[in-house]
Amino acid sequence: MPKVTYVAHDGTEAQVDVPAGENVMRGALYNGVEGIVGECGGGLSCATCHCYVDESWIDRVGGPSSVTESELLESVATELKATSRLSCQIEVTDALDGLVIHTPETQY
Amino acid sequence: MPIDAANPVPPTLPRRAGPDQVPDHVAPELVRSAGITFAPDFLKAPHDFMAGLHDSFPPIWYDVSPFQNAWNAIKHEDALFVLRNPEIFSNEGATPFPRDPDDYFYFIPIEIDPPHHRKYRNIVDPMLSPKGVLALEERIRKLANDLIDEAIEDVKSKGECEYTTAFGRPLPVSVFLDIMGLPQSMRDTFVDWAVNLLHSNDRAIMAQAMKSISDYLKQAIAEKKATPDDGVVSRIAHAEFDGRPLSDKEVFGFVVFLFIAGLDTVFATLNNVWMYLAEHPEKRQEIIDRPQDIDKVVEELLRRWSVTFSGRVLAQDCEMRGVQMKAGDRITCVLPACNFDPEVFPDPLEVDFDRPRKTILAFTVGVHSCMGAHLARLEVKIALQEWLKRIPAFRIKPGYEVEYRPGGVVGPEYLPLVW
Repeated sequence: MPKVTYVAHDGTEAQVDVPAGENVMRGALYNGVEGIVGECGGGLSCATCHCYVDESWIDRVGGPSSVTESELLESVATELKATSRLSCQIEVTDALDGLVIHTPETQY
Repeated sequence: MPIDAANPVPPTLPRRAGPDQVPDHVAPELVRSAGITFAPDFLKAPHDFMAGLHDSFPPIWYDVSPFQNAWNAIKHEDALFVLRNPEIFSNEGATPFPRDPDDYFYFIPIEIDPPHHRKYRNIVDPMLSPKGVLALEERIRKLANDLIDEAIEDVKSKGECEYTTAFGRPLPVSVFLDIMGLPQSMRDTFVDWAVNLLHSNDRAIMAQAMKSISDYLKQAIAEKKATPDDGVVSRIAHAEFDGRPLSDKEVFGFVVFLFIAGLDTVFATLNNVWMYLAEHPEKRQEIIDRPQDIDKVVEELLRRWSVTFSGRVLAQDCEMRGVQMKAGDRITCVLPACNFDPEVFPDPLEVDFDRPRKTILAFTVGVHSCMGAHLARLEVKIALQEWLKRIPAFRIKPGYEVEYRPGGVVGPEYLPLVW
């Protein structure tokens, strides 16, 4: 099963197994990883699952997958970077085994 | 201290209702009675009424009513704050449904705050995720079209179609029963129970409805325990929490909560939206002309026609906008009013599918945001697509005056349509 490492704002790391087909937001929620809220549950309507994809992974993960995601990213609570994504829109695949995700200081 | 969901005890919070039970710390000038959910001018046009609160009420006031006294909040920003800070604004004891104190249970997961809340949600969330509900799409389309067939027949034979019983009620209830693994034959009985529980505004009728629901669901749970299937009731009955099986009280509280949450809300939403579309042919046409924008359409209609409220109990003292609230006070976010906050949604009663994207409060926000939101969105979307494909023009039966039901889920009582 693909492993995803979530690095918190304070540097704390949590590595968890996330089944292929799940998304990075749920991977955090199901495993009790802090830093991702996902209050709309993945419906592209809240922008509370903002994350920064690690530089070394951004080419493989890619940028926003829809216009709606790009629009919502504009309303995230912390600095918008080139590596910003909404984690509910990143589907975990076997090719992303080892993915490293940085979570922001706050989602509100 | 978090409550122990496996060993429920009734909340000790005193019930405050009426003008004699205003706590001393409430400033007298903030004590008002809006009559939300029951006053005659509310029931005449509830959404207009709630939009109007921004002109006639302070952003936060202490509402005194015969049912329950509580702070009321109507600003979008304040609702976000309340709903996103569960350590201040707790859900424990915040759900006003009557329960037998000698056989008490919690509504799960709504009455369970973090950290345990998420563990319960994880049991059913996969089935209700955007991906999870897509598995239901074809079934919902089929069900919608079957009901539209009957509606068309109704108009042919009787000259009209009563929307709430022909479509608004059966569609979401049937979908819900399928998901839960409960029999379709119970559909109308279920709706009657839900109506008595949520709309009677009479504590004796509510208690009787709660008993009927309890008796039925306890039996259904026992059956699923003996004979598992892939429905949600069975999934909950066989679920584990922190490595132990859920207790009978947890299973019951979870199932009964989904029953209450799932039956009436989409129903009321559809009824509101169809009432609106019946009187706005230009919006119907716009929806038909912009099929690629259906998600925007659904989101804006959910904002404009939100149907419910969200209550919390203060776990600690808190000051908002200079208003002093104390631990033990109740607060209600008047969600439809928050969705009409003119600072966030200018010209708030206007339906505009191209509004800039903002957080809508139809499903609340925060850890307790609606588990069924994706299912609700999908149902509204499919209902609009399939209905407008086959019945693009319809109007309210001439001479009929729409009336709203009193209660915590806001929708028109009947909606006779002609075309």
